[in-house]
Amino acid sequence: MTAYLARRLLQTVALLFLLSIVLFALVNLAPGGPLAGHGQSRHVRPERAAVLKRQFGLDKPLPIQYLVWLAGNDWMKVDADGDGITDSYGTRKGILRGDFGFSFRTRQPALNEIGLRLPNTILLMGVTMLVAIVVAIPIGILSALRQYSFYDIAATTFSFAGQAIPEFWLGLILILIFYVWLKNPFTGEPLLPPGGMYTLGAGFSLVDRIKHLILPVATGALAWIAWYSRFLRSSMLDVIHQDYLRTARAKGLSERTVIYRHALRNALIPLVTVLALDLPYLIGGAVFVETIFSWPGMGRLYYQSALQRDYPVLLAILMIGAAAIILSNLLADLLYAYMDPRIRYD
Amino acid sequence: MWRRFRRHPGAIAGTIVLGLIVVAVLLAPLSPYDPEASDLSARFQPPSLQHPMGTDALGRDLLTRVLYGGRVSLTVGFLVVAISLAIGVPIGALAGFHGGRLDSILMRLTDIFLSMPAFLVLILLSAILREVDAPLFERNNVLTIAVVIGILSWMTFSRLVRAAFLTIREMDFVTAARCVGASNRRIIVTHILPNAIGPIIVEATLGLGYAIIEESGLSFLGFGIQPPTPSWGNLLSNAQEYLTKYPWLAIFPGLMIFLTIISVNYIGDGLRDAFDPYKVLKKVGEV
Amino acid sequence: MIRSRVLTMLSLVCLFALLLAGLSGCGQATQTPQAQPSPTSPQVGQPTSSSVVAQPTATQPSPPPTGEEQAPKSVVIVIPEDPPSFNAILSDTGYDAMVMELTMLGLTDIDPQGNIFPELAAELPTVENGGVVVDEEAGTMEVTWKLRQDVQWQDGTPVTADDVVFTWDAIADPETGTWMQGVDYIGGVVKVDDYTFVISYTGIYPGYLTQFGGEQLVIWPAHYCDAEQGFTAWDCARAPMSDGPFTLQEWVVGDHMIFVRNPNYYQPGNPVIDQVIVRIVPDATVRKTMLLQGDADVDVWTTEPVVFDLKDKPNVQVSISPYPRWVLRLFFNLAANGTVDPVASPHPILSDLRVRQAIRMAIDVDTISTQIFYGYGTPVWTELFRPPYACDVPRPKYDPQAAAALLESAGWIDQDGDGVRECHGCLNAKEGTPMEMELITYAEFGEPMTLSQQLIAEMLGKIGIKFQLTVVEGSVLWATAEEGGIEQLGNFDVDLWDDGYSGTDPTDFLWELYSDEAAEPDFGWNIGRWINDDFNGLLAQAYTLDEALRKDLFCQMAAILDEQVPSVLMFSVINADAHSTRVEGIQSTTFDMVTWNAEDWDVK
Repeated sequence: MTAYLARRLLQTVALLFLLSIVLFALVNLAPGGPLAGHGQSRHVRPERAAVLKRQFGLDKPLPIQYLVWLAGNDWMKVDADGDGITDSYGTRKGILRGDFGFSFRTRQPALNEIGLRLPNTILLMGVTMLVAIVVAIPIGILSALRQYSFYDIAATTFSFAGQAIPEFWLGLILILIFYVWLKNPFTGEPLLPPGGMYTLGAGFSLVDRIKHLILPVATGALAWIAWYSRFLRSSMLDVIHQDYLRTARAKGLSERTVIYRHALRNALIPLVTVLALDLPYLIGGAVFVETIFSWPGMGRLYYQSALQRDYPVLLAILMIGAAAIILSNLLADLLYAYMDPRIRYD
Repeated sequence: MWRRFRRHPGAIAGTIVLGLIVVAVLLAPLSPYDPEASDLSARFQPPSLQHPMGTDALGRDLLTRVLYGGRVSLTVGFLVVAISLAIGVPIGALAGFHGGRLDSILMRLTDIFLSMPAFLVLILLSAILREVDAPLFERNNVLTIAVVIGILSWMTFSRLVRAAFLTIREMDFVTAARCVGASNRRIIVTHILPNAIGPIIVEATLGLGYAIIEESGLSFLGFGIQPPTPSWGNLLSNAQEYLTKYPWLAIFPGLMIFLTIISVNYIGDGLRDAFDPYKVLKKVGEV
Repeated sequence: MIRSRVLTMLSLVCLFALLLAGLSGCGQATQTPQAQPSPTSPQVGQPTSSSVVAQPTATQPSPPPTGEEQAPKSVVIVIPEDPPSFNAILSDTGYDAMVMELTMLGLTDIDPQGNIFPELAAELPTVENGGVVVDEEAGTMEVTWKLRQDVQWQDGTPVTADDVVFTWDAIADPETGTWMQGVDYIGGVVKVDDYTFVISYTGIYPGYLTQFGGEQLVIWPAHYCDAEQGFTAWDCARAPMSDGPFTLQEWVVGDHMIFVRNPNYYQPGNPVIDQVIVRIVPDATVRKTMLLQGDADVDVWTTEPVVFDLKDKPNVQVSISPYPRWVLRLFFNLAANGTVDPVASPHPILSDLRVRQAIRMAIDVDTISTQIFYGYGTPVWTELFRPPYACDVPRPKYDPQAAAALLESAGWIDQDGDGVRECHGCLNAKEGTPMEMELITYAEFGEPMTLSQQLIAEMLGKIGIKFQLTVVEGSVLWATAEEGGIEQLGNFDVDLWDDGYSGTDPTDFLWELYSDEAAEPDFGWNIGRWINDDFNGLLAQAYTLDEALRKDLFCQMAAILDEQVPSVLMFSVINADAHSTRVEGIQSTTFDMVTWNAEDWDVK
């Protein structure tokens, strides 16, 4: 097992390295660049563009830029003042030492930009996933137990519908219903807020936070509930017809025990694995919800940075996302082995 | 096989609905309205007999635009599936059939693509390829978007096909064929592929739905099909700012996406039951 | 056993998610800022920039705090995003200039009528009062500035010439500095005494008055900002030391900023109000709602549809700038698509002046402005339409029939009846070339721009010109040639976008867009490659301090532009700030952000 683990970790490192090259190339290949006019100026004066190019480190050939991004340039001499003479050491440490550079847009360290928004996305997606699990499990179980009943058909239909509704459309429709059409019968004000994380200046109020979470979470969770419930249903169905359950029933155990103590736990194994595989969504999965509900998270940061070609921030988000995917795959495999002793890796 | 499919009520309904949508979309040119010409006297009209889905900011009939948008979205969807198959099936087949070194390399390649945060990279890729000014690829073309999405969606197929190959190549009839002296290509094409085709078709059907949603999402964010060419996604993005005043602009395009995807999903489910009643190939992570 | 493991796993996952959610929700880690001044005067608060681990955006704010005595007079401004810093010249988003105006002063500033007035300067140096000395022979000049002696930083340190020299040195630093307009003309900035300094110019630079003021630049404190960090990165741009009407008290990134009155402000009795609160609200609809409900007082850069919605509301007023800045314009590429030399490869269609004139005549500007911009677009047809150089250029006619006739006489005739003209005896194209071109615009402006693009294409379609429409990202349209920039590479036929010069001096702007030097890729922005010797000659002469002469030169240049039609200017978009009627003194200006006169605001 340890040998397997060691091998997988090595593979992870190699994969991340390869990915860093691919992603770096992709980001730089996109036409246009960060020197294009932002803010109010449409056109950037060429002199200013030259200064910016030097300060952003874009005046070097791409392979050198990659090296600097990876390993920094404080070990080599650079031309910091544009006079053509490389006379001072660089200031960047490179991502291997945790320095993801500074955002072209705000001149703040890229990790700071991410750090400001990551908790918000984790909050949003965390609650979404939680709600999805909590709602999906009972639906899936009941569906399986009462297969082909009215309840099952309704749940299956709901599951198909849930996966067919585009997230961005659902968000708009929910805003339409709960903010524009339905009003609080007592105050005449809209039922739910159309965006933002909390009401301004009111201090921390759990009720307020929850109100602001309802619509975004509902938008994001619907598809997941649909998917997880169906998944659990099929996995539960597989388990129910197994022989060892027949043995349990023959032993005289109550149906309840059979289902909950034996069947459910085995049915949950694949679900847990899938959950682990879905963990990366905690980081980058909410682009639409964040855009529609003005939620200041990673998705919106990525979108803004893509529009303005803010390379350091883009690369940082991509690498973190990729690392999350690779590690969660490893986690899923390990979890699976942990939970199901029949599986062994060598 | 078709009998089993026919017994699946959802799949039948799905086929009918999808069929209707495809026909409607193909008949779009019959509309008396031009999807792109403005009619400033008829801006922002709510649904009526003349304009069953209302009109938009330039007075264009929304139903016409939705139908033309359907052409774009559906075309992209089919193209994406075609591209994914074209890339994924050969890779999976080679990996599954030959095994060993080739298998390792191809699976590493698949892993690299799988490890990229898909949607984020889609945004980047579309920004890159959209500006390519080459023959066939003119700026902002349907084909371009399809290629962009297709490049990131072939991995499921390659895994599926590889799994199928790994299982089937050990079966007796393949060994028999080999004894008789059949060439590799003959074995693949004549013996293995036909048996693997079940899951591929199911996955392709579901992939159609996935592709349409991805394209809509990209266009919604402004990275896919650009105006004035309508696509279901960019119709929704334009509707966002008018949500409170003219909600029909948002309701109808989304409804179309919903109907299409749900039909596709039901069809896929029906196909899955038809091809695979014993669920030979599981979907969760072993292979 | 399997079951217990599964249960453990599942419960762990749930706990984990719950924990994360709870932590993220509750956590408010306040980081203390790096640079903190120690106030010598006990009344003045410290500027704190708490980069709080983001608790960003919100919707409806709570009602203002009610104190026992008088509640502090405060004004709430809502904007869609945080300013990246207080240094407007770095990122130029406008919101940085807005907060900069609240806290810091430049040498001069511009009022809504376009008049320059002194801020830190005691008076405006001119040739008449001896402040400006011109060496005619050498073609150089020297400007002597005298500073006010009663302005202090919030910690009591007086604002002196040292600060000016410090600011200049920081900007000019080759490693950590930046480029600003006219920086090449400045030979040096030398301190004469504590309140006097001299800027020596290597040429005649007419924009000298607003170079260290206006919308973008202020004077930074020498004793507080860290020269080591440099102009582009110093912390004092996030935790500023104030010499303006307000000081920054608190900044919760993504949520709000609180400014309080600076008791050391040099204007007695100003600022009238006690507090300015800036709230970050990304959604435009929410900002509008807040304004209507009284939860916000000022909405910055209100767009046309919102202005239209707010028209009849009793508690909201919209302040519109007397002179707009951003003008929608079409630029013609006079070189063939994909090339940059108009002589070697002239554009087959657009190199003919008659075609350009016809296009101008066929666009119904008023329709676009009323239909898409709710009637708030002001027709503009010349670059020189703002004071002090407003020129009297006659408005071009809208006459599609005349346009069609002009095209016919230029050799563009539709002989095959398909609605699109072809070349039959035209100037620069092969016989039979169809009159088809690509009209490009950019996406970030939003739907009004793409709709205008469509309408324009339709209007031109009616006179037989067919346009293929493309929408691209701004970062691709305006990138350098090296980065694949569409404009710089000449990969377009007609380009539609909005532009306008800041401040009162159009010289640099005209140079950028129309001079022959600027026609070279990555050297300027004369993307149409329009080269006119008369224009260049006039422009060169405009680098003079003789205002009467300048006006005359500009109007001659305007006449040439009107005659040669390298671009078609159509109308300007609104520059407005909606505000609650309880705030008095708000005046939108195109030369600055709405906070330019925040010290004069009052609350009823």
